[in-house]
Amino acid sequence: MKTPELVVSAVPHVHGGNSIPKMMMNTLIALIPAVVIGIYFFGMDAIRVVVIAMASAVAWEAILQKIMGRPIAISNLSGMVSGLILAMLLPPTAPWWMICTGTFVMILLGKEIYGGLGNNPFNGVLIAWVVLQMSYPDHMMYWLAPPGDFMTEATPLEVLKYEGVGSIAEHFTILGLFIGNTTGFIGEGSALMLLIGGAYLLIRKVVSWRIPVSFLGGIVLFSGIFWLTNSEEYASPLFHLLAGGSIMAAFFLATDMPSSPVTPAGMLIYGFLCGVLAVVIRLWGAWYDGAYYAVFIISILTPLLDKIKSKVYGR
Amino acid sequence: MKSGTFPGGLSLPVSAAGVSKPFESVPPSQTVIIPLKQHIGEPCAVSVKKGAEVKMGDLLGESESAAVHATVSGKVTEIIKKFPGMSGGYVPAIGIESDGKNESGGFLEGSDPMSLIQKGGVVDSDVEAISLHDKLTLAKEKSVKALVINSVDVEPQMISRASILAENAKEVASGIDIISQILGITTVYIGVSENAPNAISAISGACSSAISGACSSAHVVGLKAKHPQSMQELLVKALLGKEVPTGGSPEDIGVTVISVETAFFTAQAVNDKKPMLERFITVAGNGIGSPKNVLVRIGTPIKDVLEHCGVAPGHGGKVIIGGPLMGTAIHSADIPVTKETTGIYLQKEGDIAEFPSGVCIKCGLCVEVCPMRLMPLLISGFSESGSYAMAEANDILSCNECGCCAYVCPVLIPMVQWIKLGKSEIRAQRSSE
Ligand code: SF4
Ligand code: SF4
Repeated sequence: MKTPELVVSAVPHVHGGNSIPKMMMNTLIALIPAVVIGIYFFGMDAIRVVVIAMASAVAWEAILQKIMGRPIAISNLSGMVSGLILAMLLPPTAPWWMICTGTFVMILLGKEIYGGLGNNPFNGVLIAWVVLQMSYPDHMMYWLAPPGDFMTEATPLEVLKYEGVGSIAEHFTILGLFIGNTTGFIGEGSALMLLIGGAYLLIRKVVSWRIPVSFLGGIVLFSGIFWLTNSEEYASPLFHLLAGGSIMAAFFLATDMPSSPVTPAGMLIYGFLCGVLAVVIRLWGAWYDGAYYAVFIISILTPLLDKIKSKVYGR
Repeated sequence: MKSGTFPGGLSLPVSAAGVSKPFESVPPSQTVIIPLKQHIGEPCAVSVKKGAEVKMGDLLGESESAAVHATVSGKVTEIIKKFPGMSGGYVPAIGIESDGKNESGGFLEGSDPMSLIQKGGVVDSDVEAISLHDKLTLAKEKSVKALVINSVDVEPQMISRASILAENAKEVASGIDIISQILGITTVYIGVSENAPNAISAISGACSSAISGACSSAHVVGLKAKHPQSMQELLVKALLGKEVPTGGSPEDIGVTVISVETAFFTAQAVNDKKPMLERFITVAGNGIGSPKNVLVRIGTPIKDVLEHCGVAPGHGGKVIIGGPLMGTAIHSADIPVTKETTGIYLQKEGDIAEFPSGVCIKCGLCVEVCPMRLMPLLISGFSESGSYAMAEANDILSCNECGCCAYVCPVLIPMVQWIKLGKSEIRAQRSSE
């Protein structure tokens, strides 16, 4: 019997089947609950922003990859995911040209200029978001209140900043914050829906628990210290947890892979610092969307945090 | 019973086919080829001539570590000088044409256990195949205090070790007693995968019915079913909570790790005076459906084993010696089973993973799974770019090539390949200095 030809190749001979498109698909699925409730509260406006952002992000990606002579890689879904996340950080009133500018900046400065996905030192979504905040502050703060009895068209964090802790209860209930019945960006409002999505990401092992958990832990701990010393002046940790996109930032922004650490200890510290800085910015900063700025700033430390390696077995 | 484990690793789906199965004996082949080197060290010196008539168990090659024996009765047809060895390079080998009679030769002579182990050719096979005689000599030199019996299968798809325990617990227990007596110790740990309850209850039963001997006080510990729990350093970690120092061996911290099948063959050599002529093997993989356990004579061509299992390696498929994560793909199924063969894994064309390598997205998954707590992305990257000094500074030499990192990498970087390259470059550099 002549032995049939056998293939000889290196180990391992099997692979788990994980891939970027799979991770991205899972992230899209995880975002669905929060997007759906955003659309429920803000209606057609929200749909418009989401569609324009996703479509333009993918289009920019294809165009820029073509210009830079790289293989077109839109099928890995990463453009779609970042488009959707950016849309969730925009007000429902965002004009189309501003969205397209945002996605252009996001794809160019957040990805392609560094040689494509994986090499970017910053989270592209946040680069775009910060640029839009700086360039078009009026458009970024033109709010729609969700339907219902709303006495303010300010976001919870704006109320905290300008009216003080005592006024929060006049405008928002904790339950409202939990469900997402508040003024704000399209996708950041509903802590509940974002937590469901975040849990899905953890179960599917798309992200490690370390960054989100230490992030939220940092928020609770740091805001808790002030609240315990003076609850008249400082908002409760629960408020800080539910309002202003804390959950959004912890699960969907701080976990951006290329710009966050890879070592277990690095991840924990990174998340914790993000949480602390988020509260610092909210309490004393000139801006109030502390969670997003915090992620943007702390990602500068990523190369440093990656130096905190685990002790090698046997060393 | 507490269940032990180690941080990291892969929880792979374990075969649903049932975790222990009896072993079918593969009938003797017409011709067998028996390499004279089936363990680390020097090859055996040939002790037969071409044309000689041999019986089963007759000596073919002698060495201070482990002898090699005929596994069929018949005629020595050739003495091959350069036969491709499993761990690279060439080894001498002896071909025997079976006379179909399966006549047994004599028994091993003497009564000293150490010399019976050496004459019986007992080899302990894990990542490396070491003669038990050499292993015990080292353990005695280092005066080890504890014996660990590795009953965790080399990879999760393999079921032979759990099955040996379930089927032959008595012999294993006797082997453990013999080995601990040689070492003069009484502390024994038996690590078994916790998804093999039959194996656990069989060995616990055999141990508790023993009146005296180290086995009667052995700790049987169920371990989480995780790859690569079978690795010696991770077993030691899971069972004793200690780590083997970098660059050292378990003996350095007073432990020796011996596989369950080795205990079985020890009992056979010492009690029954029978040499090690066979190997317990699981044939698994998506080329075969549910895994099969077989008892195969050393020297049987792999293709005969496959034929017995009713499978043929399809064109473009893979035959792997060992498991899917760490095994070695062979180029021809004519290669014989040796004492080093820990298992056979079959892959059909189309099931073979390819690693075309993308750009690392720093997802950290490889870091998360690495059981040695290395930074696989870094050491593989440094090897790829030829920065071997950096790779070494990041402990590339501690990598045990378990394959976990490449298995989880979403962009399919062939990390183990890069790491192997880096390690061999660094070792070559060291030995040339
Ligand atoms: S770096 Fe080595 S030890 Fe770590 S997971 Fe990869 S192959 Fe295993
Ligand atoms: S698993 Fe692959 S992509 Fe992820 S960090 Fe490791 S090498 Fe990079």
